[in-house]
Amino acid sequence: MISSARNHAHFILTLVFLCISLSLLEPVMGWILILVVCAAVMRGALYLELHKHAPSIRTLNLLALLSAIVLAYFSLQLGVLLGMINLLVLACSLKLMLLRSLKDYYQLVTCCGFLIGCGFIFHNSIGFSIFYLFLTLLLLLSLACNVSPSSTLNANFKRVAVMGAQALPITALLFIVLPQIGPLWQMPTSKSHQTGLAEQVSPGDIAQLSQSADLAFRVIFKDQIPAPQQRYWRALVMEQFDGKTWRVAPERKAIQNQYKRFNKEFDPALQGPYFSYTIIAEPTHQNWLYSIDIGIPDGPENANRIWQSHEYQLTSTTPLVSNYQYKLRSYTQTPLNQALFSVDRRINLQLPSQGNPKTQEWVKSLRSQYPDDQDLINAVLAYFSEQPFIYTLQPPLMQINSVDTFLFEQQQGFCSHYASAMAYVLRLAGIPARLVTGYQGGEMREGAFMSVYQYDAHAWIEALHSDKGWQRYDPTAVVAPNRVEFGLRAAIQEAGELIDSPFSLSRFSAIAWLNEFRMLLKDIDFMWTKWILGFDKNSQKDLIKSLIGELTPQKLALFGVSVIGIIIILLALFFLPSLRQKNQDTITKYYQKSEKLLQKLKIYRLPHQGPMDFAMSVESKLPNSLNQPFMQVTHVYMQHQYQKNSQQQKLRNKVLIKHKWSALKKAVKKQIKR
Amino acid sequence: MHPQLQDAIKQVSEQVIGKQQQIKLAFTCLLANGHLLIEDLPGMGKTTLSHALATVLGLDFSRIQFTSDLLPADMLGLNIFDSAKQSFEFHPGPIFNQLILADEINRASPKTQSALLEAMEEKQVSLDGETRALPTPFFVIGTQNPMHQSGTYPLPESQLDRFLMRIQLGYPDWQAEKKMLLGHDNTTLKSKPTVMSVSHFIEMQQQITQVNVSEPILDYILKLVTHSRETDGFPNPLSPRASKALLQASKAWAFLHGRDYVIPEDIQAVLPSVAEHRMRAALSDFNGQTSLSEKLLEAIDPLAA
Repeated sequence: MISSARNHAHFILTLVFLCISLSLLEPVMGWILILVVCAAVMRGALYLELHKHAPSIRTLNLLALLSAIVLAYFSLQLGVLLGMINLLVLACSLKLMLLRSLKDYYQLVTCCGFLIGCGFIFHNSIGFSIFYLFLTLLLLLSLACNVSPSSTLNANFKRVAVMGAQALPITALLFIVLPQIGPLWQMPTSKSHQTGLAEQVSPGDIAQLSQSADLAFRVIFKDQIPAPQQRYWRALVMEQFDGKTWRVAPERKAIQNQYKRFNKEFDPALQGPYFSYTIIAEPTHQNWLYSIDIGIPDGPENANRIWQSHEYQLTSTTPLVSNYQYKLRSYTQTPLNQALFSVDRRINLQLPSQGNPKTQEWVKSLRSQYPDDQDLINAVLAYFSEQPFIYTLQPPLMQINSVDTFLFEQQQGFCSHYASAMAYVLRLAGIPARLVTGYQGGEMREGAFMSVYQYDAHAWIEALHSDKGWQRYDPTAVVAPNRVEFGLRAAIQEAGELIDSPFSLSRFSAIAWLNEFRMLLKDIDFMWTKWILGFDKNSQKDLIKSLIGELTPQKLALFGVSVIGIIIILLALFFLPSLRQKNQDTITKYYQKSEKLLQKLKIYRLPHQGPMDFAMSVESKLPNSLNQPFMQVTHVYMQHQYQKNSQQQKLRNKVLIKHKWSALKKAVKKQIKR
Repeated sequence: MHPQLQDAIKQVSEQVIGKQQQIKLAFTCLLANGHLLIEDLPGMGKTTLSHALATVLGLDFSRIQFTSDLLPADMLGLNIFDSAKQSFEFHPGPIFNQLILADEINRASPKTQSALLEAMEEKQVSLDGETRALPTPFFVIGTQNPMHQSGTYPLPESQLDRFLMRIQLGYPDWQAEKKMLLGHDNTTLKSKPTVMSVSHFIEMQQQITQVNVSEPILDYILKLVTHSRETDGFPNPLSPRASKALLQASKAWAFLHGRDYVIPEDIQAVLPSVAEHRMRAALSDFNGQTSLSEKLLEAIDPLAA
């Protein structure tokens, strides 16, 4: 049993555990966090000697039983991943209360290391990475304090820092060189993790999203950067409308599944100029990707993991559980007229069975006035621009006949209101139309990359022309032209409707240096995402390619083997001398073994004690049956170490000391049994 | 232990009661052909010890009482004009003896001190352009009072260095002092027989050079001196002369114990006497402070590879 009083190792471990648990505030349940804090306070009190006694094992067993029952009750709701993390944190907090023996301590250290790893499931921004790195160092510091409690905290910290610094180049090398294997198990997804756009849109949904300044994705353009009016990032196409909510059409899903089953991918014929870019998407736990029309995967690597569907929408084959990087080409001038017309027509003329009588009336009159489709569309857009429509994030609620209310009474709304109403109107007029959600805009960082945020979320419509195919119309652009050209902030700046968090840096974008600072942070974050989080098989290949030229399997294998070989050789050079010395001198080894045997009987040689003195002190402490063999071992050892020995003598001594040592071993075993 | 030396030690022990360890160290010093410095308060038996040593080993003995007005000539001797022969004749001073007891060496003026120390180092005396060899063996046993006593000129570090060893006698224990009071008489000193001849003693010194010093032992010595040089807390690190002295003394100690090889314990036994006076700053008082040599010994594991 070891005491916690003034025990730096225990105290640091407690701090580390507390910090990890607090960083897992979201996934870990409140009552477990309270237990964690209790355990930490308990350890703190023991450390400061405010309190002398740890709780008894019986109390803790009872507590553990109760906690297990409560956790079991909750775990059904939590799912596997969260349940397990909660269980681990709970177990650690109980262990921390129990912490008595060295074994407990090591278990807790290991678990804390694992918990730090778990932390990366929830946070992998640069800030959290540094935080977890720091915690890992603290954990090592705790281990160092445990191993050498007598050295000062400073000396221990120095040792850990030096070792950490030494490990850094090896880490970097391994990071670059080791094969980037995908996750070995599927990350369980849970609803709470889904961010960004959803597979269904009711008017008002996107307004909520626009309050969020979270990053949606980043784009690195190869050379050409599209104008703001062109930056319509398609994500999802919604083709079913029930009078209020737009959804992805079930029929469309069925068709997609069928194509997927036969592995027949939509392959649009492309023409005209194009531009290339790389997108790094933030995790959404969904499959759909972002692209500018018509986007196709650039290169076979990307084509293999991206599925192109008939509504010109890209989906990845696996959910985006972490940052996802892919390359695209966009052919902006190719018309969207290549997919299954008949199917598109059928799906996109579907109407809700009833409601919105006023709108129906209005559309009937419009249709009779404008028999041509294009004329009708223009008339609808003109209606939006002529009537006093207001672009706002907080429109009044429109429950019954929402399109009627929106078009003729309230005349205020957000992009999804305009898009939804217009698509409905066009469908009533017999023009196939659908709602597209995605993002519009993006903040360009000079010469570097574009960031697209959640508040750039947008909805627009597409109408089907018999010759030109699907054409994009954005009623929002008619009502609030600023939205498209300068972004959301410009469009509703006066209204003061954006509820930024008080700490959001974008609130202060007017102050130049703060803005500069915000941009710098963004740059750092971008580099982190691109080079650390987004470092996958392909980036690895590119990097190695740039280092050693064209890749052949042999070259690659050679490269990997040589790097690992270099590491092994360096380690060997470091460790071999001491190893060899030990190997070479059997007699010294046996003497040391004998010392270890005596340590079992709690007899230790003082660090400055010579062999003779030690043998004398052993003689005074142990019965004859034991000190006799040890004396003999000492004699052989001394003869070997300090006298002139012939070769023959050396060999004889080697045999002799083994003999004497085994005699000592027997005697020690006997003594212990007694 | 070496039988003859054991007899000798036993005999000296009869004169200086209860100081077995110091006597052994004194013999070690002489066997290693070095000079000995005994440092202690007056009346602790310094003179008795040196006298006994001389007697036992059958060495010519003379004693020079150092005072502040003692001149080099008083010690070394001088040329006196012999009117009968019409020439100068050399009258050797007390230094021309095999064992010199330089009593209260730190009471003499620096000039006289350095004359003695030069003789100790060179084993010869230069007078009026003529060099005269001192007898072999030639030992100086210097005694000195602790520094803080009045009327002393402290020996500088460079001269302390000339003494192979410095020992302290210290108060005798209860039993020993009782035994001394009960009837021991200093006058019997002269009548004690010699244990060994001078030639025999020189032969032993020869044998000591044959004592085996293994690689681990050399490493141990080097680790000790290096530690004193590289660690804070040692005002005067050990010089190469000190490491040589340490080796020599430990060989003699091993021989004294009847071994023909040195073990770490030998070094540990002689190190305080060999190294302490070299590591101390000259003026600092050694009494009442923790021993630097103990600190040094505790820092090094003799068995570490």
